[in-house]
Amino acid sequence: MAALHSTSPVPILLLALLLSACGPSVNRYALIDASLRAGDTHRADAIVEQAQKEYGAKNQVLYRMDRGMTLHLARRYEESTAVLDKAEQEVEDLYTRRISTHVKAFLYNDTELPFEGAAYEKTMLNVVKALNYAVAGNVQEALVEARRVDHRLNVLADQTEGTPDAYRDDGLARYLSGVLFEAAGEFNDAFIAYRKAHEAYLAAHSWSRTPIPPMLRTDLLRITDILHLTDEHAQYRQAFADVSWQPAADRQQLAQVVVVSYNGRAPRKEDQFIDLPISVDALRLVLLTKAAVGPNTNTREARAAESLFYGLNGRVVRVALPRLVPQKTAIAYGQVSLIGAEGSHSVQSELVQDLSALASKHFAEQYNGLAVKAVARAAIKYAAAEGIARGARAAAGRDAGPLVGLLVGSLAKALAISTEEADKRIWRMLPDEIQIARLWVPPGSYELRVRSIGKSGSPIGHEIVHPVTLQSGETKFFTELALP
Amino acid sequence: MNIRITHSNFSIQHSAFSVRAWSGVSALAMLVALAGCGAETKVTRVDSGVVTDLSGRWNDTDSRQTAEAMVKEALGTPWLDNYTRSHRGKQPVVVVGMITNKSHEHINVQTFVTDLQRELVNSQKVTFVAGRGEREEIRQEREEQALHAREDTQKAPGKEIGADYMMKGYISTILDEADGVKAVFYQVDLELVDLESNVKAWFGQKKIKKVVERKRTVF
Repeated sequence: MAALHSTSPVPILLLALLLSACGPSVNRYALIDASLRAGDTHRADAIVEQAQKEYGAKNQVLYRMDRGMTLHLARRYEESTAVLDKAEQEVEDLYTRRISTHVKAFLYNDTELPFEGAAYEKTMLNVVKALNYAVAGNVQEALVEARRVDHRLNVLADQTEGTPDAYRDDGLARYLSGVLFEAAGEFNDAFIAYRKAHEAYLAAHSWSRTPIPPMLRTDLLRITDILHLTDEHAQYRQAFADVSWQPAADRQQLAQVVVVSYNGRAPRKEDQFIDLPISVDALRLVLLTKAAVGPNTNTREARAAESLFYGLNGRVVRVALPRLVPQKTAIAYGQVSLIGAEGSHSVQSELVQDLSALASKHFAEQYNGLAVKAVARAAIKYAAAEGIARGARAAAGRDAGPLVGLLVGSLAKALAISTEEADKRIWRMLPDEIQIARLWVPPGSYELRVRSIGKSGSPIGHEIVHPVTLQSGETKFFTELALP
Repeated sequence: MNIRITHSNFSIQHSAFSVRAWSGVSALAMLVALAGCGAETKVTRVDSGVVTDLSGRWNDTDSRQTAEAMVKEALGTPWLDNYTRSHRGKQPVVVVGMITNKSHEHINVQTFVTDLQRELVNSQKVTFVAGRGEREEIRQEREEQALHAREDTQKAPGKEIGADYMMKGYISTILDEADGVKAVFYQVDLELVDLESNVKAWFGQKKIKKVVERKRTVF
């Protein structure tokens, strides 16, 4: 090691490694979170918009997903839909895979692959678009998204046939479709959607952390009553014997308010580096470096320093794997109230989607494949670096050969280590949980109040207030973000 | 000590491999670099009647061809002769009502409605009156004329021609997809409803089927 220190071009290598250690900026999400917590959704959207180039060409789908969500939160629904439409189109185009891109990713790291999103994120594209249309009062166009998501989920079910425990349907997407079809008076489609939602919640109960929403039971009873589906109605009455429900006839003159709450932040991913020493010296070096760098090895500087030392030693192989970091919300439910001249009406929101559970499920399903690929890539990179060093040594001749071989080999191994990076891409602008509250009230003018209640039972954050005027038979949709 | 021995074996294997490794890595790097070459943008001006099926989605050709075929069919069926005969040669008055999009696509229904209106007007076989949205605008204009226009040029209210029939319908789709092959089946249902009696005088249907195939892998 002493000899290495006397001859090694440390500053050049360090600079090269720092330059090569590129990756998505984590600060961007911290700034967006800070803006959203301060209630400045337009600022959050501006941060995403300004970062489009930073996302890079391979992450334009992720950019559009993030942007579509911030535009949605900023209540710029038309723009959000346009951006999400583009993301959906690009996801469709990514069905065709480029072998060259996959080879490049295998040699470099998985971030070289274009981001196309997990199956649940693709479903959320349609869900957010449907809500864009619904909140803007265009239920007919929201129904187009409901039909698109139905097709998407049907294809997914075909693709995952034989794996009943996989993510192969989506309770929220089905439930929201049911609400939209019912709002449009298309009761038969609403029944199918509610029934599929019920089946989806049941099928995923072992991992989704989302029990069947109680309101779905009353919806099934009401809709089967409307359609005079006596057999189905009797079955549901038997299954939900403890549920009290209101026949549709009692609600004919009423108006409906649907509040969709986005609680907390979706999980994020971090790098998890596994440094494998293949000699006793290398083992000592890894232990010494870890002690010197400390527990926070995810900074660019720490990674560059580690890559440099390991590269010079030449006997360390690095494997990078992602780690999912949940960001669970402290909110238990939302208290939704409509206060009017004739009286007040109140209901608690119910959990309809735990996106952290969906992310965990997807992560668990992908992990083994990612690990095998990462180990294989690390071995190939190491072998290639060895080969390059030997080639350089032979090319430089007998006198300069050892020194050139050492320098080139160190650089090649350091680059092999520094380029190892886990794929940490995930649609982080999604919430941790989605909850829905539905209220049927007589037509009139009201004040809609939404108050988040924490898991301890005490209120959290500010109360959100909207004036709302409702006509008989009308359904109005609202979305709210609650970040505590 | 065991670790060193393993490593030593590893090095010996790679000394024989080094030349092949060099060439292999270089070839892969070149392939990856070549694959990164971008495509140039090319714009070609074509006649608006040319069929351009790019994505498989509903497009201008579908809208135009469906409107032409359905209006031709509607005006070729007996209800028109029956009406003209029973009304002493008078042309029926038709209004286009709601065309509901029940498909999987955000179809611009207004384009299709405009295509229908154009075909109906150009047929010269029916009298065509403005639909609900347009009527509101025209009535507002008349109200403004009553206030601001010269008396001899004002258009009087209450002289609108009431429609005899309303044309309304649906655009719906059925999708099927597996292994990169997607079959899209569009069905356009139109009907003419007698506004006095609610009798459906004509019912037309146009079906379009498209198959979209996508490659799973390219180089």
